[in-house]
Amino acid sequence: MRHRGILALVSFYSLTNGAEIPRHPSYRDSAILSRPKFDYSRERGSGGRIVKLDAGFRLLGIRRVSPFMSFRDAKSTVEVEDLRREFKGKEGKVLALDGVDLTVREGEVFGVLGPNGAGKTTMIRILSTLLLPSSGSARVMGWDVAKHPEKVRPLISTASGAERAGYDYITARGNLWFFSQLYGLPSKLAHGRINEFSEMLGLTDYLDRKFYTLSTGYRQRVTVVRAFINDPKVVFLDEPTIGLDVMTALKIREFLVKQAKESGRTILLATHNMAEVDAICNRVGIIDKGKILACDTPMALKRSLGAPALVMEMTPAPDSASLEPLSKLEGVKGFTSSIDEERGVGRVQVVVDSDESAQGALDFARKSGMNLISNWRQQTTLEEVFVALVGRGFREREHESPN
Amino acid sequence: MSYLSSIIASIRVGWSRDFGWTNPFLGFSLKTIAPIASTMTAVTVLYIGFRNGTSISPGQFPMLLGFILIGATLYAHISAYSWVPTLAIAEGKWTFVFPQVYVSPKSSPPYLAGRCLAAFASSTVTSIASLAVAIVISSLLFGVTIPLILTPLSISLFGVALIVNILASMGLGFLLGAYAIFASKFEWALPTYVSGLLMVFSEALFPVSLLPHPFSDVGNVLPFTEFIRASRAVLLPLGSVSSYFYYLALSFIGGSILLGLGLFAFRYAERRARRLGVLDRKVV
Amino acid sequence: MNPRTSLWLKTVYARTWVRTKSIYGEPLWVAVNVGFPFFTSLALSLLYSSAGLKAGIGFAFLGGVMVSFWGNVLWSMASQFNWDKQQGLFELYVTSPAPISAILIGMSLGGILGTAPSAITLAIIGWLLFAPPATALWPLVALTFALTLASLYAMGMALSSLYLVYGREADSVNEALHEPVSFLSGVYFPSSLAFPAALQAVVLIIPLAVGMDALQRTLFSLNSTGATDLTPVYRDLLLLAVMGITLLFAASKALKILEEKGRRAGTIAVRQR
Repeated sequence: MRHRGILALVSFYSLTNGAEIPRHPSYRDSAILSRPKFDYSRERGSGGRIVKLDAGFRLLGIRRVSPFMSFRDAKSTVEVEDLRREFKGKEGKVLALDGVDLTVREGEVFGVLGPNGAGKTTMIRILSTLLLPSSGSARVMGWDVAKHPEKVRPLISTASGAERAGYDYITARGNLWFFSQLYGLPSKLAHGRINEFSEMLGLTDYLDRKFYTLSTGYRQRVTVVRAFINDPKVVFLDEPTIGLDVMTALKIREFLVKQAKESGRTILLATHNMAEVDAICNRVGIIDKGKILACDTPMALKRSLGAPALVMEMTPAPDSASLEPLSKLEGVKGFTSSIDEERGVGRVQVVVDSDESAQGALDFARKSGMNLISNWRQQTTLEEVFVALVGRGFREREHESPN
Repeated sequence: MSYLSSIIASIRVGWSRDFGWTNPFLGFSLKTIAPIASTMTAVTVLYIGFRNGTSISPGQFPMLLGFILIGATLYAHISAYSWVPTLAIAEGKWTFVFPQVYVSPKSSPPYLAGRCLAAFASSTVTSIASLAVAIVISSLLFGVTIPLILTPLSISLFGVALIVNILASMGLGFLLGAYAIFASKFEWALPTYVSGLLMVFSEALFPVSLLPHPFSDVGNVLPFTEFIRASRAVLLPLGSVSSYFYYLALSFIGGSILLGLGLFAFRYAERRARRLGVLDRKVV
Repeated sequence: MNPRTSLWLKTVYARTWVRTKSIYGEPLWVAVNVGFPFFTSLALSLLYSSAGLKAGIGFAFLGGVMVSFWGNVLWSMASQFNWDKQQGLFELYVTSPAPISAILIGMSLGGILGTAPSAITLAIIGWLLFAPPATALWPLVALTFALTLASLYAMGMALSSLYLVYGREADSVNEALHEPVSFLSGVYFPSSLAFPAALQAVVLIIPLAVGMDALQRTLFSLNSTGATDLTPVYRDLLLLAVMGITLLFAASKALKILEEKGRRAGTIAVRQR
């Protein structure tokens, strides 16, 4: 029964994602954003901060529905100002972070959501003292990560889904004890935490097994326990549930929420998993091409779109060139397309700011001779928010920028 | 895809694996340094034995130096490529390449043979280079002229011996590969032991007759011993052309038997590993 | 205790524990590690014997023992950092408050303790089957051995930092380094009996060469009377002490510089496999 809260959120997501939902009048009440005004990156380009973005939301009349307003009063634990990072590649300089501003508070689970190559990992690497910024500043618990890494390190920890690091011939417990010693923990305290966290993550029965004998899921549970063993104030997690089965991912998410809520830790979660962000993050920053495009609660971001997305199914599947005029229609903020191979139909998901715009998109499809076999309106997800911000979905974005 | 094209593709993979990380010159240089040094260690031990011991006369020393130079270099050559199948399997299990190769139409033997041939080619070049360098260094260091026979005929016959020895080395490679399929850890241990045993039993550094019976008999039946003897027979004024062909024939027969045994053991190991479900088990 | 000292000691202990536990947890390690050095020592012993120099057997087995440590320095010390980086462990070291020097010293102590069983096994085999060393200088042997290991592992620490830069090439560099350094250090023979004076002077920059020279002098003597002139041994011990301290300092500095460079270039967390 312990999972109920998380499960409820996740099932809500799965219900709404792809399910047919009729028009709902409440969407009409939401403010309608014209596309240029919604382009937060343009505002960001002028050197503004998130505070300005928030002000922008208010000016544009977005109704904030945030159950996490209390965090506004909490102490800032992560403060990022105009953070930039360039890498020298074979084909010249690559801008991984382009003036990021961010403030995360105590006890908050903050999601950094973006497609692969958006700059999430670079930000985490800078904040966890592994990488120096090219310019700008980043502070964790008040300490500058570039100038005082030795002050930051005892207060943080990191874990990555790609990592699963440990010594093969040592047991899970041995590995965890080893990492606790790198933080100077007394052994008794370390073992107490290992037992407590392992119990919470269902790892207890596997603690005395050698690391190489553990499955991917259990190795990742070890990684998560390791990330919390030093009682960190701020935890940086990079795709912590990538490649895991549903139940393991749920266990880990539940653990993260509990740690933030009960121990007041800040958790900064970089991910491209929208369900995860929807399920556990108090706030989310949407990142693309090194810029934070929007930052708010998942609910507020979804509501800001104004109207449910339009989904059209057509056969044969239209090519991208024939769909391109869609994005120029009044009130259309972007679209994504995919092919349902099994049924041999193309599916186009159009993010619109009003029911009228949705009607306009439908008319366009009919007039251009596409064989429309069905259409419906769909509850907004963070994917649509992303589409509205950049005009493309995650997958298309990753294809556009392979690095 | 024919067996031949599988083998050729695997040879290219082998070369890329060995030299793809750097330029060919640096890659070959790094691979040549180790055999030169190990050969020099053996000849230096001989030199100290000659200067401080009681059994070697000044007249014998140059010939013995040649004996060890050739033996130590060829031993390094055999070791360098006979364990390549083990390496290919262990690495392949780690990277999941091996299970994919196994399920391909021609399965793993052409792949392992190709990897072995790639290593044979690079090891031949590095062995000849290290032999040449070691001869120069030891001549300078110890002030002797080594009585080597370096005529087009002797070099050609030496080349034939190198090629015939592929049978034995590949056979050993498949035998070790049969073990590597099952190994979940220490997969490199058996090849290391076998390599150490070959140093003692293949007449690389001293005549196997020095070993007590029945160990000396073990050395005498090894095709590697016959290969090294054949090479010495044409590169040193130790034997005749007929003795070369005698040793070469023994090397060929022994090598063929070892290759047959190796392939049989490998096929058996593959089937058994499939039954046990360890073909795609990752090594640590 | 000062928290920084406490953290340093805990880190050293934990890293030593990981290394020794990994090795002692798999008893097969000992058998596996004894193999190749044993056969090499055996083959060279037979070569010495065939040349009529029975005393050389001691050199061959001492070489086998020391080559185990040298191999450990190269493969399990210097390369380990590179493997740790590939596994994602190095970035965890960097983001923790633990000093890297403590981790390196822990790796060294663990390496010495982990290699000791196979080295001792080999020494016992050599002693029982072939040639007991003719010496009465055991305290000096012990001091020489300790200083040799200290400078050898300090060299391993310095190489660790280099291998962090070499990355994937570390294995090839290891392969290339192992035999030449063994040869030039006179692992299996006294280099003073084989190398010209100039070469002998040059190889004294290698800690293994200095250590081998001192160990061969204290443990064995080619002099028929068994007398050993200790002056070169004291010179070697002084050299080993200086080298050990210098290399330790160099390793610590180099790692700091490389960490800073890695943070700037973004290479600390870059994995290549």
